[in-house]
Amino acid sequence: MEETTTTGIDWSQIWIITGVGYTVVFLALLLLMFLFKNMPLFLNLVTGKKVKVMIKKIKPEDNGNQEEQYLSGEISAAIGMALTLYFKEQHDEESGVITIKRVARTYSPWSSKIYGVNNNLR
Amino acid sequence: MKKLFTVIVILGILYFIPLLMGQELMAQSLTLKISEESGSLTEGLRHFWEYTGFANASLGNFIMITVGLFFIYLAIRFHYEPLLLIPIGTGILLGNIPFPAGAGVGIYESGSVLNYLYFGVTQGIYPPLIFLGIGAMTDFSSLISNPRLMLLGAAAQVGVFGTFIGAVALGFEIHEAGAISIIGGADGPTAIFASAKLAPHLIGSIAIAAYSYMALVPVIQPPIMKLLVTKKERLIRMRPPRAVSRTEKILFPIVGLLLTTFISPSAIPLLGMLFFGNILKESGVTDRLADTARTKMIDIVTILLGITVGASTQASVFLTANSIKIFALGAVSFIIATAGGLVFAKVMNLFLSPGNKINPLIGAAGVSAVPDSARVVQQEGIKSDPSNHLLMHAMAPNVSGVIGSAVAAGIMISFLM
Repeated sequence: MEETTTTGIDWSQIWIITGVGYTVVFLALLLLMFLFKNMPLFLNLVTGKKVKVMIKKIKPEDNGNQEEQYLSGEISAAIGMALTLYFKEQHDEESGVITIKRVARTYSPWSSKIYGVNNNLR
Repeated sequence: MKKLFTVIVILGILYFIPLLMGQELMAQSLTLKISEESGSLTEGLRHFWEYTGFANASLGNFIMITVGLFFIYLAIRFHYEPLLLIPIGTGILLGNIPFPAGAGVGIYESGSVLNYLYFGVTQGIYPPLIFLGIGAMTDFSSLISNPRLMLLGAAAQVGVFGTFIGAVALGFEIHEAGAISIIGGADGPTAIFASAKLAPHLIGSIAIAAYSYMALVPVIQPPIMKLLVTKKERLIRMRPPRAVSRTEKILFPIVGLLLTTFISPSAIPLLGMLFFGNILKESGVTDRLADTARTKMIDIVTILLGITVGASTQASVFLTANSIKIFALGAVSFIIATAGGLVFAKVMNLFLSPGNKINPLIGAAGVSAVPDSARVVQQEGIKSDPSNHLLMHAMAPNVSGVIGSAVAAGIMISFLM
């Protein structure tokens, strides 16, 4: 039965749009999530190679360190800062040699002084 | 003496010629003519005055000009989305300079320059072009490396559907409510696109509300974060995202494009352009195109969109009770969307193992508002722990929020069109 108020609003329709709409948004992103969660596995199957993953577990027998090795936030920030500073400050690394280069101009009668309008004709 | 005589003769001739021609030379008639001429001068000045902005100004114009100046002030003083608020603020000034009707300069007068530029807004042309630029500048790596964070972008869309119910309850017609609800997606281009389709007469109010609240994200979100996220939760450190292969980066826009547009075809212009821009970026073979899309093109479209949306807020059209309701709904929708993301992140933590927990603050970035809400999350995160950088993690729900709000807009359009 339609839940229509005196003002003519069909609330059942509103609730359906809301419910279905929100569910569809959720499902769309859930599906995308599911696909990309399994994407490395899928790529492994297709290419036969392992997708390179930065999060490497360093085995205990390698160096005796039991913890997983990650790039921490501080290290990432430090690397980012260092790169930014390096690229920003690049312009400061100049040769320091200041010279006035001679500019060689080829002769052209169009710019010649001897044809100037101010020459006094004798 | 000769000269004096010559002058008298000339004056005499000048006096008699008009008499011979039958013209009046009486002082009275001369005075009358002068007064008539001065009358037409007054008339001219009066016409000129009527044509000026001063004569046509209304209180509404001055209110809107103050709003425009306030936007410009916010952008310059507090750096709140200056790229949007400066064009919109200036547009508000332009749109509220009073002029007589029919002058052919107003944004709503066909044939005027502003009207031609406004065409891109009313026909929904600018938003997809903005999305193209966003796609070309967005790095989806954080999302690909931690796909579960996509759900936060979906959760924050509760703002869209909550606003839809609120708008209907406030008496808006269902199409208008659908258009207004997209403000809850915190995505200006999507809001404009949806309102161009569903309620073109509300574009100005909806766009201004959406962009205003997007600019005010640094003001709106932190109190909600503090209210809903405990001190202990704010200290949670998340696992760093893994490196993402180039193949995955290329596959993401292609799969995303196919999947989302099949689900919500009404959002093809938005999602299609978003993922197309990302393909340009990630393919690695179209750097020139990607570079143009993310720099010059998006800048040009932002200028045109900002100035025309601002100019569309003519006091006579904009200052209505509906606009006030839309603004109120916009504020509520932002709060609901932010709270939705935060609460969902907390709920997700209940099901995650201790080492995999997520910092609930990043849920706030589920509202689109790229990249401002992610930036706010980072700022709030470092307030609790200066070494806990959440920006990278927050970008994942942030970009999924863009996808989510576009899907939501598509669903709304397909339901209501």
